[in-house]
Amino acid sequence: MARGICYDIGIDIGGTFTDLVCRRPGESMLTAKIVSTRWNPDEAVMQAVRFMVENWNIAPEEVGRFLHGTTVATNAVLERKGARLGLLTTAGFKDVLEIGRQMRRELYGIILKPQTPVFLAPGKYRREISERIGSKGEEVTPLDEEAVRSAVLDLVEAGAQAIAVCYLFSFRNPAHELRTREIVAEAFPGLKVSLSCEVDPAFREYERTVVTAFDAYMKPTIDRYMERIEGGLRKTGIGAPLQVMQSRGGLAISSVARRRPVRLFMSGPAAGVIGGTIVGCMAGAQDLITVDIGGTSCDIALVDGGRPVIRPEGSIDGYTVRVPMVDVNAIGSGGGSIAWLDAGGGLRVGPESAGADPGPAAYGRGGEKPTVTDASLVLGYLNPAFFAGGTVGLDIDKAREAVGEKVAKPLGLGLEEAALGIHRVVNTQIAEGIRLVSIRRGIDPRRFTLVALGGAGPVHATALASELNIDRVVIPRHPGVLSAAGLLAAPIEHEVSAAFPMPLEQLTLANLREALSDLDGECAALMAHEGVSTDQVGIAYFADMWYLGQSYHLEVPIRLDEPDPLARLYDDFLEVHDRVYGHAAQVPAGIVNLRTIHSTAAGVSLGEGEFAAGDGKAVKGERVIRVAAEPGEVAARVYDRANMEACLRLEGPAIVEQADTTTLVQPGWTGEVATDGNLILIRSKGAG
Amino acid sequence: MNRTEGRAGLDPVTVEVIRNKLDGIANEMELTLVQSAFSTIVKEGLDASASLFTLKGETLAQAIAIPIHLVTLLPIVRHLLDQKPVAEMKEGDAFVMNDPYLGGTHLPDIAVMMPVFHEGRPIAISATMTHHQDVGGMTPGSTPTNATEIFQEGLRIPLLTLMREGRLNETFLAILRGNVRIPDTVTGDLMAETSACSIGARRLQEVAATYGANFLASVFDELLGRSEKMTREALRRIPEGAYSYTDYLDNDGVDLDRKVPIRVTARIADGAVEFDFKGTSPQVRGPFNCVPSGSLAAACFAVRAVTDPEELIPNNGGCFRPVSLKLPPGSIVNPREPAPVGCRTSTIKRVTSVILGALRKGMPERVPADPAGEEVILHFGGRRADGGGFVTSQILIGGSGAAREADGVDVIETDATNCMNIPAEALELEAPIRVHRASLAPDSGGPGEHRGGLGAWLEYEILDGEMTATYRGERHFCQAAGAERGEAGGRASAEIVRGDGSVHAIPSKEVVRMQAGDRLIVRTAGGGGFGEPSKRPHDRIRADIENGKVTAEAAARAYGLPLRSVE
Repeated sequence: MARGICYDIGIDIGGTFTDLVCRRPGESMLTAKIVSTRWNPDEAVMQAVRFMVENWNIAPEEVGRFLHGTTVATNAVLERKGARLGLLTTAGFKDVLEIGRQMRRELYGIILKPQTPVFLAPGKYRREISERIGSKGEEVTPLDEEAVRSAVLDLVEAGAQAIAVCYLFSFRNPAHELRTREIVAEAFPGLKVSLSCEVDPAFREYERTVVTAFDAYMKPTIDRYMERIEGGLRKTGIGAPLQVMQSRGGLAISSVARRRPVRLFMSGPAAGVIGGTIVGCMAGAQDLITVDIGGTSCDIALVDGGRPVIRPEGSIDGYTVRVPMVDVNAIGSGGGSIAWLDAGGGLRVGPESAGADPGPAAYGRGGEKPTVTDASLVLGYLNPAFFAGGTVGLDIDKAREAVGEKVAKPLGLGLEEAALGIHRVVNTQIAEGIRLVSIRRGIDPRRFTLVALGGAGPVHATALASELNIDRVVIPRHPGVLSAAGLLAAPIEHEVSAAFPMPLEQLTLANLREALSDLDGECAALMAHEGVSTDQVGIAYFADMWYLGQSYHLEVPIRLDEPDPLARLYDDFLEVHDRVYGHAAQVPAGIVNLRTIHSTAAGVSLGEGEFAAGDGKAVKGERVIRVAAEPGEVAARVYDRANMEACLRLEGPAIVEQADTTTLVQPGWTGEVATDGNLILIRSKGAG
Repeated sequence: MNRTEGRAGLDPVTVEVIRNKLDGIANEMELTLVQSAFSTIVKEGLDASASLFTLKGETLAQAIAIPIHLVTLLPIVRHLLDQKPVAEMKEGDAFVMNDPYLGGTHLPDIAVMMPVFHEGRPIAISATMTHHQDVGGMTPGSTPTNATEIFQEGLRIPLLTLMREGRLNETFLAILRGNVRIPDTVTGDLMAETSACSIGARRLQEVAATYGANFLASVFDELLGRSEKMTREALRRIPEGAYSYTDYLDNDGVDLDRKVPIRVTARIADGAVEFDFKGTSPQVRGPFNCVPSGSLAAACFAVRAVTDPEELIPNNGGCFRPVSLKLPPGSIVNPREPAPVGCRTSTIKRVTSVILGALRKGMPERVPADPAGEEVILHFGGRRADGGGFVTSQILIGGSGAAREADGVDVIETDATNCMNIPAEALELEAPIRVHRASLAPDSGGPGEHRGGLGAWLEYEILDGEMTATYRGERHFCQAAGAERGEAGGRASAEIVRGDGSVHAIPSKEVVRMQAGDRLIVRTAGGGGFGEPSKRPHDRIRADIENGKVTAEAAARAYGLPLRSVE
């Protein structure tokens, strides 16, 4: 069958729902949500496949691409379901994993908890090996091969299912780690091994140990997971390869992705940011803030010049893990955040959340505490009969009771006044969070466009934008399944990096080209698994750079096509330093790591198909709501998104209902449906 | 939107909205300060803070990354408000000060303060403090361990005008630049402080434009009053009484054979607490004296830690209204000029653990046994055989104290400080040193039903040339005490094993020469244990042995078990 008429399938597993999207060129995108199977996540993938076959009549052989975003890596850590791990280190350094960088996270804590992921390998699962590589890569002490053999034998007898190896300076000379893997393979051919010189060849032994240990910890779990899905697809008759979203926002074929599971931590959120980026670009905006408000938290990400901001390390279950990922920042405010009164009589919102269970009072599942979602209902923003497309019934009386009894009465406020108060407080918190995330990256949010994702993002979007002096908001056609849709348009991407400590003054262009060409060789070998032709692959080079003597570094693009690439590199470093840190001195700088990224082009649209509104009425009616900007009751027009035609204009106050979200358009904002179906909201001058 | 102006009762929603904004403003100031700073100690050590104050000199909001900065700006802002009538301040004014004897901390910490104006009159003070890389004096870095007078520690800046209606005080800047080793870095950091103050001022003006100055002032009162009320309620849960506790610094770095007692009596009554330092050592010759702002930071840290472990009380000056200090003049916690004060961090850490030790007597369930509470500052400086120079530092710490419900944590920052260590690979790339060991020190945790956290065990070899090692330790002579019959944590030690095999023990603080082939071996202290060792469950003891935290011999000794039963 010709590739052009095949279906592309995107499946994103979230905590509560597994989202499914399906598209074929020239046709409208199909979407569905099914309940996640948390304890056996690959089961939901197979259910989604059956759903697709049964409900959409898609034959398995018609599937051209099968793309997947998953929280399985993160869940393996949160639920401590990874492998029993053995860790080999240089003699004298077995406790590096436990000591870490010696900082504590709770500034005012006095009864402390361990701050490092000791659970990965407690003392009895760590072994010291006599060997030593010096700081210049020279061998100081040869590898004690017998010690490796007996340590591994010991660890396997103690139950180890995977081995992580982190020797000092292996990023300078990997010989001892590579030999160690050979020795392990001789004794235990099937045992999974992760080497620090391959997982993260960069200096600082604690950070390298942690990322290597996490990698080995998840390998057996990820391996089984991928195997089951691959097997399931084969059994169903789907011949398309499985491609998985990695934390940087690029797809990789499962046979490559499973070799480096530590790159899957942000798989799901990364797909959402890619989706948001493409929607923003469709609306003509390259500088974006994506805001995904869920039940317990709000994920904020920045897109600068059409590229999601990548950070060099992320946080998993509170532990810092040095693996590049899309810079998604979670703050503890969401639809389930609970409103409460503190001992001083002050109104507070969060950080405690009612989550999905029991959920907001209005869910009627036993929750009695008032949440942000309950306030939205009291204020008239949500339609109790049409929440989540009518799949979740909302009990407005329970919401009124919770807000009334727990907030309004004790504070002497009217019911609506109290609900409005909850919204004003949570919006202030989220807005301050967005401001800090932006400033940390040297970005002024005012010139950015806000893209609202998730079920609750569009309810708060215009209020947040007003607070931040942002003039433009984009509501995607399908904000609730944007992660799955993002998969369809994401690039295929492979990245290889290596330590390359070198002062710029000593660097020659020939050296640099040679080092990059070595990395390109490795990267091209990975790309070869993807079955794309080389002319579709673009190559980008980056250097992690610092001023000599600094201990933090910044990623700077390398432009080999420039007349003087080294001079340009230094100038670009100064520019990035100035943007992020506010100044840049003309003093000597150097390279820390080199990186090459091979990728295919990202889609220019989500490929949702030509936008066509439904035949029904665009305006469903009118509802009385309350808003912060105007006192008293306000009449808002209620629109049905499905029936809103391109170029339809609306004026706030208004409410737009659709199956996966509700958009509140505050007074002072106007909206227009773009020809591609995205809803663009614009703030009138001076509207607060 | 001025509809809230003039209402008698305060709308609780608006109060909470404004509170969130104030916290956001302080965080934005701090972020700006850290990001635009030049000095590594700010960028990597986060040794800087930003606050907003009322015109009465109470903290409205503050952003800090290390607790040693908690409320340290307060005495400086009070000094400003005492000396300069608010009515005479003009928009675009800024003030600068670092003098420890006028409310400062130590000389490298320079404060910048800026009045915030709305409709022509001041409504608040925006203030920042940064640890500057150098402020002159006898050694680079301006914290000489052998100073005996403040004059050796650098330039003293009394309260001065830094800007008058937007114009910089060039006279002051010229004097400053002439007295520091790295004038560009110091002035750069001072400008970063000024821009952070401006950001705070600008954003607070936006809030004032929305809500009006009078309304804002009553919100400030309300916020401070609420935090005060919540803190007093929490203090009332501690049984009333007077609780005393004493611990020691090893010595003052000058008189090496004299322990330095720090004693505090915490008097808790009627929802307030007074910390009386009667019985504390007189001021010392070395630079370990600590001006009052340091003990204030320690006291406020301890009160916050015990009254609000879940961090539910909004952090502002109201939390500290019920806290008072009695600091005997001429003592190490309230020295007379010109006593040196540069190395007071060790003292603040000990003052913090002594205050917590006193409070533990009233609330043993909330306060763990004593922590190692040492922050070893280790500098290596010298020349390689080829003549190239290098300077590098390491910060080493010990274990935390065990608590009623949990073991202590091994090698972890506690109380007033929170610094990262330097990785072995970073150290070896910078200096001709090989790190042979960076591990836990077995048996160093104080025995108890819950065991104290372990100290660290490090070994450094000099590879090339010769160098000077500066070692500033604690807990060599005074162990971290256990609580509720738990035992003390292990002592710290440091020794140099020369190439010829001879051994030199370092008496807590020393500057020593080292040659290629010499090794420095350091063991940091362990935290105290909590509860009777005999009550420790055998499976926990066995797990400790399996994980290498306790040796079988030590377990037999400490927990009274026959060796057989633990093996």
